[in-house]
Amino acid sequence: MITLPNECYCMIFNNLRSNYNSLLSCSLVNRHWCRIVIPILWNDPKNHFKDIRLIKVFLLTLNDEERTLLIPFKLTFPNHPKPLFEYTSYITCVNKDLYSGIRIWLRSNGYKTEYELVETAIQCSLIAMSCELVRILNI
Amino acid sequence: MDNGTSNSASENETITLKSCDGIEFHIDARIANRYTLLNNWNGGESACIPNVNGKVLEKVLEWCEHHINDPQLNCGDDDSRRRNTIIEEWDENFLSCDQDMLFEIILAANYLEIKPLLDLGCKTVANMMKSKSPEEIRSAFNIDNDYTPEEEEQFRKENEWAEDY
Repeated sequence: MITLPNECYCMIFNNLRSNYNSLLSCSLVNRHWCRIVIPILWNDPKNHFKDIRLIKVFLLTLNDEERTLLIPFKLTFPNHPKPLFEYTSYITCVNKDLYSGIRIWLRSNGYKTEYELVETAIQCSLIAMSCELVRILNI
Repeated sequence: MDNGTSNSASENETITLKSCDGIEFHIDARIANRYTLLNNWNGGESACIPNVNGKVLEKVLEWCEHHINDPQLNCGDDDSRRRNTIIEEWDENFLSCDQDMLFEIILAANYLEIKPLLDLGCKTVANMMKSKSPEEIRSAFNIDNDYTPEEEEQFRKENEWAEDY
């Protein structure tokens, strides 16, 4: 195959912007495509904030400082190697579904007490983490 | 008088473009005026286009000729145009060429800054990838997988939220 410049691949993948499944397939083709697709795939995942698989990755990408905020709540973080990308740094849009996603994650992990406090703390950590790039903060 | 770089070229004016392999094309001067790079090279009666061979330049110019009367789009139209993956029938037939030629056209359109043709080529390739598995895309574009199995598994896990849509 003739190799195109990265900006052309970027234009190609941008055409698939709302088609998460196709973008995921492209990112799995090889490492080169993956590096171009990931910023597009993670640019706006707001329709998936209720998916605890996404919340789990959010928690994995918290840095030490952000995790410190959550120490008082004795949360058990997902057991997983360090993520391959700083996924959350590509997010540019957050909405209220993030609350629901965090609530669902907490329930699925058996947390029952101090719900609101924990939810707020996690939100603060996630927002602190991504605020630099979040352009549309609709919480 | 040299009207080659003027923006008011009339229908009868022609200029000569020469591909990198020396093939000459006599084209309507309005085409050159429409696209900055072709225009910049047109310092006189003929201009040389490095990096684009005759076979590809012929296709690119065929597209430009067909679209000579299209309205010029503003920068602000880019987003809506890009999101729309519907392709007109003529363009679809035009790009139903072999894959190497399609990629050569994209490369040339990028090099010559012919934005609408570049968008069209990119849309066509994107449509070829839609709803396909990674294996199907690799085989369609003859690409090798360079992930280690461990890496691929971890990557899939971190991005499995995107599988359902």
